[in-house]
Amino acid sequence: MEARRETVTFRVFRYIPGDGEKGFRSYTLEVPEGTTVLEALHIIKEQHDPTLAWRSSCRMGVCGSCGMLINGEPRLACQTQVLHLGSKVVELRPMANYPVTRDLVPDLSSLFSKHAAISPHILRPDQREVDSPTGEFIQSPAELESYLQFSYCIKCGLCLAACPTVATDPDFLGPQALAQAYRYSADTRDGGLDSRRGVLDRFHGVFQCHMAGACSAACPKGVDPAFAIQLLKREVVLRGLGKRRRRLARVSPLPSEHVPSEKIPAAPPRTA
Amino acid sequence: MRESRFWALSMLAAVVMLVVLTAHMAVMHLSPLVGVSLETTRSFAAVLDRARSGVQTWGYYLLLAAALYHGLYGLRGVILELPVGRAGARAVTVILALVGLIAFGYGAYVVAETARLAASGI
Repeated sequence: MEARRETVTFRVFRYIPGDGEKGFRSYTLEVPEGTTVLEALHIIKEQHDPTLAWRSSCRMGVCGSCGMLINGEPRLACQTQVLHLGSKVVELRPMANYPVTRDLVPDLSSLFSKHAAISPHILRPDQREVDSPTGEFIQSPAELESYLQFSYCIKCGLCLAACPTVATDPDFLGPQALAQAYRYSADTRDGGLDSRRGVLDRFHGVFQCHMAGACSAACPKGVDPAFAIQLLKREVVLRGLGKRRRRLARVSPLPSEHVPSEKIPAAPPRTA
Repeated sequence: MRESRFWALSMLAAVVMLVVLTAHMAVMHLSPLVGVSLETTRSFAAVLDRARSGVQTWGYYLLLAAALYHGLYGLRGVILELPVGRAGARAVTVILALVGLIAFGYGAYVVAETARLAASGI
C-alpha cells in the first residue's frame, strides 16, 4: 500500500543578521506520511533554499538540538511528523524567550548559564571521597526512583520557551535549571542543597514559579519540571526552617574488602 | 529576608484565610442556607452583639493581617516580574510593606472601634 502524501506549505521565519529584515518565507512540498518537520527542513534546504539555517544533530529526540515553535507549540522538529499536525500550513519559528542568532537558530546562552548557576553535579562535604573514591556510594532503587524522572532532561530548552514567567522575567532561573536543581538535591549522594540555596532562595529563583505548568506540557522527555519545582520549593522552605537534613549515601567497601556470605557458593574457575 | 520565608508566610496566610474567611462568609453571606435571614445577621444590633465576642474581634484582626499579606505578596510578585532592578525590587518591597502596615492600622482601628462601641453598651 502506498503511503499517504499531502501538499503542505511551510511558513518559515527568516532572519539573517546584518540583513535587518525579519519575516516569513513560504515553501510548498509534497510530503509522504511519516515525514518529520526536520526532514522537511532538509528537503527545503536541498531543493528550495540553501540559505535556510536551523540547529539539529541526532534526528531521534536525544540531543535536544532541534527545538522550535511548530504551529506555535514548542516541539522538537525531529519528533514531530508533518501530517500528524493536521494542517495544510505549518508555521516554523525559533523558540520563544531566546534571542535569535539566525532563522530558526536560537541563542541558548541563557539556558546554559542558568543551568551552570545551580551547580548541576554531585556536591558533597567530603570532597576527599569525591576526588579519591574509596568505594561506591550506596543508593537503593527507591532512592534512585525519587529523582530518576528528572534526570532525563536533554537540555533542549523547550520548557523555557514555553514558560510565561521567563517571558516576563528573563532573570527567572526557569524550569530547566530548577528541575535539575531538584534532581541533584534529591539525589542521596548529593549534599549540596545548602550551597544551591543562595541561587534558588532569592526573588528570581524557585519561588518566582507561578505553576502555569506549560514547561511540563512542552517537555518532549516527560520530565515534568513543574512537579520538580514544587518539590524543590518544599525542600528549600524546610531547609530554611532547619528541618529535613538527609543522611548522605554511605560509601560501600571496595570489592576486595568485601567478604562474601558463606551461603553463596564460590564462582566456578575461569575457563579463559 | 529570604524569599522562602516570604513564600512560606504567604502559604500560612492562605491557610488562615481559608479558616477565617470561611467563618466570615458563613456568618455574613451564607446564613440563609441554614435558615437565618441576612437582615438578622447584618443588622446593627447583630453586628454589635457579635463584636462583644473576643473571638470575632481577634478573628477579624487575623483575617485582615492574612488577607493583606497574601494579597500584597501576590502584587509584589506581579510587579517584580517587570524589569525593575535590584534597587527597584527593594523599593517595591518597602513601599508595599508600608501600604500593608497603613491598611492594617486603618482596618484594625475600625475593628477595635466596633468592639469598643459594642462594649460601651450602645
